[in-house]
Amino acid sequence: MISLAGRDILHSWGKFVLTGMGLGLLIGVTLTMAGVYRGMVDDARVLLDNSGADIWVVQKDTQGPYAEASSIRDDVYRGVLGLPAVVQAASVTYLTMQVRHGATDERSMVVGFEPGQPGEPAYLVAGRRLLRGHFEAIADVKTGFRLGERIRIRRHDYEVVGLTRRMVSSGGDPMVFIPLKDAQEAQFLKDNDAIIGDRARTVANPALNRPGVPGLVDAVNAAQTINHSVNAVLVRVADGTPAEQVAQDIRRWKHLQAFTREQMEEILIAKLIATSAKQIGMFLVILTIVSAAIVAFIIYTMTLGKIREIAVLKLIGTRNRSIAGMILQQALGLGLIGFVVGKISATIWAPAFPKYVLLEPADAVRGFVIVMVVCALASTLAIRAALKVDPAAAIGG
Amino acid sequence: MDEGIRIEGLSKRYGAGDTAVDALKDVNMSIAPGEVVGLVGPSGSGKTTLLKCLGAVIEPTRGRMTLGGEVIYDSEQGGWKTKDLRALRRDRIGFIFQAPYLIPFLDVTDNVALLPMLAGRPNGASRARALELLQALDVAHRARAQPSQLSGGEQQRVSIARALANQPPVILADEPTAPLDSERALAVVRILNQMASQYQTAIIVVTHDEKIIPTFKRIYHIRDGRTEEEAGEGRAIS
Repeated sequence: MISLAGRDILHSWGKFVLTGMGLGLLIGVTLTMAGVYRGMVDDARVLLDNSGADIWVVQKDTQGPYAEASSIRDDVYRGVLGLPAVVQAASVTYLTMQVRHGATDERSMVVGFEPGQPGEPAYLVAGRRLLRGHFEAIADVKTGFRLGERIRIRRHDYEVVGLTRRMVSSGGDPMVFIPLKDAQEAQFLKDNDAIIGDRARTVANPALNRPGVPGLVDAVNAAQTINHSVNAVLVRVADGTPAEQVAQDIRRWKHLQAFTREQMEEILIAKLIATSAKQIGMFLVILTIVSAAIVAFIIYTMTLGKIREIAVLKLIGTRNRSIAGMILQQALGLGLIGFVVGKISATIWAPAFPKYVLLEPADAVRGFVIVMVVCALASTLAIRAALKVDPAAAIGG
Repeated sequence: MDEGIRIEGLSKRYGAGDTAVDALKDVNMSIAPGEVVGLVGPSGSGKTTLLKCLGAVIEPTRGRMTLGGEVIYDSEQGGWKTKDLRALRRDRIGFIFQAPYLIPFLDVTDNVALLPMLAGRPNGASRARALELLQALDVAHRARAQPSQLSGGEQQRVSIARALANQPPVILADEPTAPLDSERALAVVRILNQMASQYQTAIIVVTHDEKIIPTFKRIYHIRDGRTEEEAGEGRAIS
């Protein structure tokens, strides 16, 4: 038996391909939206993977350091190191800011870390690790910085000595790694005018500038200038030790908040990007409905254009299920063309997006199934119209 | 006379009560295999209703119809003899329409071969049958063409081939020469006569066309749902 749908598609392939391409661009946008969500989730996971930690120790009653602000003393790590099963513990700072680069600035997350400790970038794609204690930086390639270039963070210039890849914040901003001390200054140290103003206020305060107590005002001023805060302590535990067990010890004995990898992933994915995920979900639903409406309209219009032929086909003995099959196959053919165009389009334009777009094969398979189901459902309107056609319509005027 | 088509006491009423319309009233017809008869009458006289009843697309109200010696409808015995009217139309009735109504996305061969394929014959045998008919109708050279590439006369010849594809005992032709000029219209009637004779098919030609009416040996006039038979001129077509 002849494939009526196949012949019709071949007969009017230009119309089919053009329609399929239009639908395909819409499907491409839908796949990209799904890819944006996957990219956000992957960014969050990569952030946790790259920190190299089993436990994040942060300020009590906060969900820092990524979802909320957290500030703890930079000597906390010493106490944590003393706990059983703790192999490594190191302070880190995270600060999202505009990093000056020539005449422009780049939104980045500046990470302060101690070389050789958790928080250090896991690998480099060019250059070297930090060897000096100050004013060297390692940047993610997405910042656009190059080796040897100088960038400005707050009041100091840094030389880019290494490049890394896929080191981004949960918001997708590329990371710039600098020594911890420099990062603490960048985050907590006030500018010179503010320091002079604070010193004047201290000197003018009779409680702090007492006659007969030499050195007090100098000590207060020094304490105000130096900052010993960090955002978190990253902890690595011995193999075979449950991270939750160590986290419980930290919560109980150090009076700090401690999150394991699973808990931190829950915070990042279920809380930090939850609103964005819902937003993208809404877009996906709307795009799916729009795609279905377009397919239904196109197939319905094409079917109405063939009413006389359908009447003749029914009169000469074509089964209703053959006619329904013809319309269904055309709708599925349109969906197939649309999906192929959409997948290719999404693959081509995804790297051009400023944030990471992750097109997962499983999403493509799910997308294909959804496209086919939507096309099948969309064809029901046209099938209904075709089945209502009276074969008698072919006879007479 | 062998039976091609026999219609006895056929009536068709649309609606009921005060608004009922009797489109056919006690119609009787008999057409032998290989015979071509004309069915003429003014608009609204019941021609199309008669074709639809014979074509098994509407059910008569009363009467009896026999195609190729087989009763297909008898109101005294429960109406249609088969529930599968689709198969009845496919296997035992050929249709030729006012416009050819070829399927635009099938080529000429497949337009004709579609019917045997629908009847379950293999594709190869169906196409061979189609080519044989296209040969007989002198359009085999356009076998691979699309319908849109054919002239009006060629399209009508292909539609005749399609009507003959399953060797039905009966062909119903609904104003098949309406869109054609005199020369082509007469050519179509000549072909119908040839095919009727060659394949022993009974053909009813519904027409208004004054050019072709004189070519029929027998004519049924239909007026207000009643038929009257009269001898035609049976003028030879050169």
